[in-house]
Amino acid sequence: MAEIVAAALASHAPMITGKPEVSKPEQRDRFYGGFQELRRRLAAARPDLLVMFVNDHLQNFAYDNLPAFCVGLAASYDAPSEGGAKLMRIPSRKIRGHPEWAMALLEAGLAAGIDFAYSYEIESWDELSVPLHFLTPEGELPIVTVYTNCGAPPLPAPRRSREVGAFVGGFIRSRPARERIAVLATGGISHWVGTPETGRINPDFDRRVLDHVARGDAEALTRLTYDEIEREGGNGGQEIRNWIALLGAVPGWKGEVLAYEPVAEWITGCATVWVHP
Amino acid sequence: MTRISYPLNKLLTAIARQHAMKDALTDEELAGHELDDAERAALKAGDITKLYELGANPYLIRRVFRRRFRI
Repeated sequence: MAEIVAAALASHAPMITGKPEVSKPEQRDRFYGGFQELRRRLAAARPDLLVMFVNDHLQNFAYDNLPAFCVGLAASYDAPSEGGAKLMRIPSRKIRGHPEWAMALLEAGLAAGIDFAYSYEIESWDELSVPLHFLTPEGELPIVTVYTNCGAPPLPAPRRSREVGAFVGGFIRSRPARERIAVLATGGISHWVGTPETGRINPDFDRRVLDHVARGDAEALTRLTYDEIEREGGNGGQEIRNWIALLGAVPGWKGEVLAYEPVAEWITGCATVWVHP
Repeated sequence: MTRISYPLNKLLTAIARQHAMKDALTDEELAGHELDDAERAALKAGDITKLYELGANPYLIRRVFRRRFRI
């Protein structure tokens, strides 16, 4: 059976790369340092494929069609597109997908009652572009994406994210033994984006989430309700569904927080976490 | 229950996808969209708080009216 050789969690926000100069240098250095350590560990694990639990920001899925969970079948992803590149101030590039692997995941999911939607064309915003800018700067590692609706409520329940993640983890382990798979979830932790509270961060909520992650306690995270996350973690905090899905894929694994910085200037509680058996 | 204005979000999505930023929208930009009076007024004023209250998605408000935010 195939092996999950690496697992990690990382925040995403367009200003992490788009406005580095507004952040405090010591916070920026520590957070970027977390990404560099993740990159080093990811490379050392020699994965063939990176499965990413991420969310759209209405760039692809809008109110005319909003999948709760969607598998990306794209041959390549704009990460970022030329338009996004200007705002995130990173070069526009294409990241290779793996449509055959993604199709196998999609078919297995539908057969098992995980009713994924699917998409052949995805323009990444910061959910792929920013973390991959740090983690795979050469763009050599193909990706498969599992998108969860975290930004256009009503949203799927955190418990369902864990179940979807558990299914993906089981699917990976059912694959041929030669495959070496890394998994990465992006998003969170607390941030308020576009709401009247824009700019707020809640380090207490962030530490609570990180404590659960450090203990590998996905169950505690699934008990968070939409309203509780919205109140304590903001609308951006809803992205922890991606983290919950990843923890579902690697039951019993625990998080090692490499960096946590509540970066006010990036309006985001920013973390990088290595997850290991 | 979640408050969603589909007309507001449809219009803001179209603008966000062009990576265009606005301070306010014009009558020309609103033409052909089935918006009510409060929605029209908020879009033409670039009133980001009102748009949120009326059921515009905050990510779209942020994308389109980025310059209206202090941070």
